[in-house]
Amino acid sequence: MNKLALVTTLGLTLVFAAGCANKSVVRYGDATAVETTDINFGSTDLQKVAAQMTDSLLLSPVVGTLTQNTRPVMFVERLKNKTSEHIDTESITDSISTKLLRSGKFRFVDMGRVEAAREQLKFQHDGGMVDPNKATQFGRQIGAQYMLYGNLSSIVKSNQDKSDVYYKFTLRLMDLESGLVEWADETEIRKTKAKESVGW
Amino acid sequence: MLTSKNTLCTRQKITGSLAVILVSAIVIAGCANKKPPVTAGTGTSAMTQGDDFSKHLEVHNTDLAKRLFISDVKSRKSNDLLEINLTLTSRYEKSQKLQYHFNWFDEAGFVIEAGKTPWVPLELHGKQSTTLRGLAPNINVSTFSVYVREIPEKAYKY
Repeated sequence: MNKLALVTTLGLTLVFAAGCANKSVVRYGDATAVETTDINFGSTDLQKVAAQMTDSLLLSPVVGTLTQNTRPVMFVERLKNKTSEHIDTESITDSISTKLLRSGKFRFVDMGRVEAAREQLKFQHDGGMVDPNKATQFGRQIGAQYMLYGNLSSIVKSNQDKSDVYYKFTLRLMDLESGLVEWADETEIRKTKAKESVGW
Repeated sequence: MLTSKNTLCTRQKITGSLAVILVSAIVIAGCANKKPPVTAGTGTSAMTQGDDFSKHLEVHNTDLAKRLFISDVKSRKSNDLLEINLTLTSRYEKSQKLQYHFNWFDEAGFVIEAGKTPWVPLELHGKQSTTLRGLAPNINVSTFSVYVREIPEKAYKY
């Protein structure tokens, strides 16, 4: 009887052990949900920074005046990453400029694609394949009136039980003609990681 | 002879109990977190500017509703865009890790920027009341809804 109990228990152990073993499972997740995998700069931070900065810019009274009857032309200068991590700051500026563009309040010129545009125009004029009357003209582009630029900095502190990271993101809008900073805002993120005594 | 049989019996009993404990431990440790977390929360149905928010409140998680309630939803037009102020109040004495998100619809009720509005993390301290801001992504938005839920973290037990 005891043997039977032992065999059954061992069998069950094996079944459960197999069932609970570390299996890698692939799932699709919600790309916009809050992600807390680790303390480094993550998708939630990127989305939060982009959303807050766009909202703040679109709500500011100065921008209300600037965009009253016109859609000002902007260009994004790169964001300076002053944190201790590698962060793709172009991804943050991409999100911000996409949101601003989609709001219908601003227009953008893309400085990252100037060479590609020049190549295309050269081909149209010098390639001998495009009808000269239908080629896009040189020297007709519209210059940016405003420049968007910013900084991303961090303060990291940790002891043996706890890590704390603080990000500060500053964004400014400069009038290129007058050199005046028309708008500025900053947003902060604090993330902490602490050891929990409860395992599950 | 009888004594040794008894000893054997006791040993088997001990082994049996140990095996049972082992199985229980494995089941508890390994399989306990297989259940998906509760992600239902509380929010509003689609409402327009000037609507009475109390008529649009929707509570999908009664446990969360005991700790948290939406005390006010205000909206206005700023720079042609719909701006929302949502006041969340905690009924609980400890901090809560939450996330909130807005949905935007045009006049015909069609969703705008579907799946692009991020869930924003929020730490609500004990008995705190906080105001969250949402801004419509473009000028076509006339209706909105908001949803608040917990951040599913295994370590958080209430």
